[in-house]
This record gives sequence, C-alpha cells and structure tokens, in this order.
Amino acid sequence: MTLSPLLIIMIGVIGLLGAGFYGLLVSRNLIKIVVALQVLVKAALVGLIAAGNYNGQINLAQSLALTVIIADTIVAVMGIALGVQIRRHMGTLDVRELSKLKG
Amino acid sequence: MSQIPVFLWLILLPLLASPVIYLLGRLFRKPGLARLPYLAAVLVLAISLVPFVLAARALGAGETLHYELGSISLHMDGLGLLLAAVALGLGGLVALYSGPYLSKEDGQEKFYAMLVLMVSMIVGLGCATDLFNLWIWFEAMAVTSYLLVAFYRTQAASLEAGFKYLVQSAAGSVLVVVGIAIIFGATGTLDLAGIRAAAPAPILIAAGALFVVGFGVKSALVPMHTWLPDAHSQAPSGISAMLSGVVIEAGLVALLRSLGALFAVSASWPALLIGFGALNMLLGNLMALQQKQVKRLLAFSSVAHMGYMLLGLGIAFYSGQIAGAQGSMFHLFNHGLMKGLAFLSAGTLLYTLYIARSHHGPLMIDDLAGAATRYPLAALTFSMAVLALGGLPPLAGFMSKWQIFVAGFQTHNIWLETMVIFGALNSVLSLVYYAPLVNAMYRLEPSARVREGGRAPWVMSIPLVILGLAIVVLGVWPSLMNWLTEPAARSLLAVLAGQ
Repeated sequence: MTLSPLLIIMIGVIGLLGAGFYGLLVSRNLIKIVVALQVLVKAALVGLIAAGNYNGQINLAQSLALTVIIADTIVAVMGIALGVQIRRHMGTLDVRELSKLKG
Repeated sequence: MSQIPVFLWLILLPLLASPVIYLLGRLFRKPGLARLPYLAAVLVLAISLVPFVLAARALGAGETLHYELGSISLHMDGLGLLLAAVALGLGGLVALYSGPYLSKEDGQEKFYAMLVLMVSMIVGLGCATDLFNLWIWFEAMAVTSYLLVAFYRTQAASLEAGFKYLVQSAAGSVLVVVGIAIIFGATGTLDLAGIRAAAPAPILIAAGALFVVGFGVKSALVPMHTWLPDAHSQAPSGISAMLSGVVIEAGLVALLRSLGALFAVSASWPALLIGFGALNMLLGNLMALQQKQVKRLLAFSSVAHMGYMLLGLGIAFYSGQIAGAQGSMFHLFNHGLMKGLAFLSAGTLLYTLYIARSHHGPLMIDDLAGAATRYPLAALTFSMAVLALGGLPPLAGFMSKWQIFVAGFQTHNIWLETMVIFGALNSVLSLVYYAPLVNAMYRLEPSARVREGGRAPWVMSIPLVILGLAIVVLGVWPSLMNWLTEPAARSLLAVLAGQ
C-alpha cells in the first residue's frame, strides 16, 4: 500500500489531535493547557484545508479556516485572560491548586 | 439589503444593542446612571418580543422565513422559533431579575452586553442552514457564556468553573470542526439539505460521532457533562438559569440539526440518543442525590432532564412519529421555565442570605430550613419549580414527561417501552432529592441564617411570579403550547422524512 498525500495528511491530523489531547490531559499549567487547545485547533485547520484540496474547493476551505482562526483566537485570548485573573487572585497557575469544585 | 425580513430583527436587535449597552455603562459612570445598562438590556429584550410575535404569526400563516446574504442563508423554522421563544423569554426575565441581584457588583455593563449578545446568538443558531454557519453561532454563544460563567472574577471557584468550562467546550468545538472538515471533504457541500441529499458514505459516520461528542459537551451528554455542575453552581443565578434553560438546549438543537443531515448514513442514531438519554437520567439523578449545595443539585437535575429530552427524541427518530418529538420539544420549553424558575428562586434565597451581605458562599440545603416563614414567595415558587421538575401533576413537567412516555408506548417496541419505564422510575427517583428541599423550607424551624436574612427586592419577584404562573397554566392546559411545539416537532421530523 502506497501512502497517498491525503492519507499522510489524515495521519497528521490524527497525530495533532492526539498530541493536543495528550497535552490537555497531562499539562498542569494553565498556559500550557491553552497551548494544547491551540494544537487541537491546528489539527482541525489542517483537516479543513485538506478537505478543500481534496474536493477542489480550496478557496472556500481557506475562508472557512480563516474564520476558525478568528473564533479560536478569541477563545485563546479568553482562556489566557482567565489565567491572568486566576494568577492574580490565587497566586498560581497550577491546576492542581485549583480544585475546589468536586462531586 | 433593501428587504430585511422581520425575523432577522430578532437577531439584529440584540446584536446591535449589545455594544451600545456596554458603551452606555462605560461612558455614563455617575452613580445616578449606573442602572442604564440594566434598563437598556431589559428594554431591548422586551422590544425583541415584537419581531418574535410577528415572526411567529408569519410562520403560523404558512409563510417561509428565509433570508440570504451572498452564500449565507438563514431560515427560521419551527425549531428555530421554539429556541428563540425560550431564549428571548428566559433572557428577558433573567435580565430583569439580575438588576437587583448584581447591584453591588463591578462590571455590570459587561454582564448585560454579553447576556443580550448570547440571546442573539442562540436565536441565530436556530436559524442556521449550513453546517459551518451553525458552528459559528454555536461558538459565539459559547464565548459569551464563558464570560458570564466567570463573572465573579475575584472568586477562585468561579474562575475555576469558567476555565474548566472553556477548556472542555473549546475542545468539543474543535471536534465539531474536524467533523465539518470530514463532511466537507466527502460531500463537497456544507449546506444541511445538500449533505442530506449527498450519497451516504461510511466516513460520514465518523463525522456524526464527532458531532455527538462536540455538541454533546455543550448539551451535557453524560461522560462530557463534568463542566456543567461547576459552571451552573458558580455563575450568577440568572446565568445559571440561562445556561440550564437555554444554552444546553441550544447545544441539543445544534446536535439535532447536524445529525438530521446525517440521518441516512446510519440506522443507529436513535439507539445512540436513547443510550445517552438513559445514561444522563441515571447519572444525573444519582449525582443529584449526593449534593449538599442547592445549585449543584439543580445542575445535576439538568443533566437528568436532558436525558428525558433525548429519550423522546430517540423515540421520534426511531418511529418517525410526531408525538415523541413534540413531547421532547414541549419538555425543552418546560425545562426552560422550570429550571429557570428553580435557579431564580434559589438565587433569591442565595441573594438575601449571602450575596446581599457581600458573602459569596454556596447556598446549602441546610440553609433552606424554614425559609418559607421569611420568604413565602421564593419558597413557594422554588417548591413549585422542583415539584414540576420531579413531574408531579398538575404542573408543567408532568405533562411533557407524560407526552414523551406515551409516545414511547405507542411504538409497541419492547426496548423502547423498557426505556420509558426506566425513565418513569428515574422521574420517581428524582423526587427523593426534590422532596427534602420542600420539606426543609416548610416543615423545619428557621435556621439562624434565615432569621437574620434581609428582605428580597420586589423586582426579583416579578420573574418568579410570571414563571410560576406559566408552570401551573401549562400543567393544566398543555395544549396552549401546541402552536409552538408542533411546528418545532414537524420541522425536526421533516428533516428525517426528507432523506
């Protein structure tokens, strides 16, 4: 079986998703968690572009990807803003320190 | 642009008002004008009722509400109208309620700007006709709700809940984008009707699974529900009501729209919905049993109620009958009323016992002891809300659960009948944790905290009375809501029949 470009890209997307989720699960630092989220979004972006390339609508796919980047930037900014507030009021960025809510 | 159809104003009015409300708050900072954003938000949501009524009439008269701008099109059908009704109705009452509730907090203008924006985004979500558009509205709604959950930005618990919610929700929405990419690659279109018309390919099942997980985070399907109790219990009470009454339902509508487009791909969607429904009912009720905090208990009860809606929808998807879908839509509407009322009543008690004294403690079940002696209205409406949630006749919650269960028996399928009995048993189980709340308020001696509590502001009573009356009236005349629930169920099933 030869590796077609599409297959390679799909493996890449899955790899990025895996790396992102791994990062989400093991990171203890709030900033690193936001970075892991960014890695996840990059997987989705690669997927969108690959899909557009595959079905010949690359222009549409690029505009979709741009929109996703905008939406995702807003989320990242808000995540970091929350991180700033957490650092300010609790003096730490470690998620293990903020586990008051359980059950 | 010359012709803006009337239903579009439902989206535009709150959308355009949101920055104005924020600026009003920032520019006029004199003490006498501090209430300006609050009044503006209530006014905007009240005025939005006019296009809502006009749109509902037009839809009732059989017109199609459609708008196109370039390649983006918006289409309001029965399901969109139902979602708009819940978002607008509950949003308006929450805005009215939050005035006194938040009177001592900083940054109120952000709260009202975001609340109004959230209503607009939810109405837009109901009108989306293409998958990517749907995702945009969904993401915008999520962004507004992150800010609202973490509104108490000096409280550690509230920040933690906000961050947890943000991470889970953002990870979920990434999976939705991956699903969209798969569909886009396989079918070459993102239009929901176009996807339905495209040939079913096995890879679309993967996209459907990604949608279930991604939208499932927002609609609190059970393994993905862990953000919900934290966010609901830490947000300001008005926002707890919005999250529980509208936002998780909006997630459900997004899930239904996207799965509707993929309906032909697999025959297992009904089983999947019912499976998640059963998990939600069981886990929601079992977790609620252990809770000591009132708002956390109500949050887990939302998880359970999502299960009843999924059960009804699964029955409708399986049998193609309208009864199950209509029962679910009615339950969606009722859940907005009941859970809205429960959170707002609990919020009134929380406000008088804690927040009015600048103390951000959680409201414990023990604090409710004897609350009826000092706060007769809040205690009465809270009891009505939890009893309706538990499904006691003649309150609204009984009627919608009844419709779902009857629809299940009409299918004459032994598995569905078993699931319905399971649902009914769960409903009885839920009374085990609702009844002690009522008991504590009416039968126990007032606790020290209740005896020292201040007076509840009268403005906060208005939404309680309106919602309380609605619950009783809908419990006695459930057919009053048929004009809203039947078109919603029809537009849901039309999607399935159109395959």
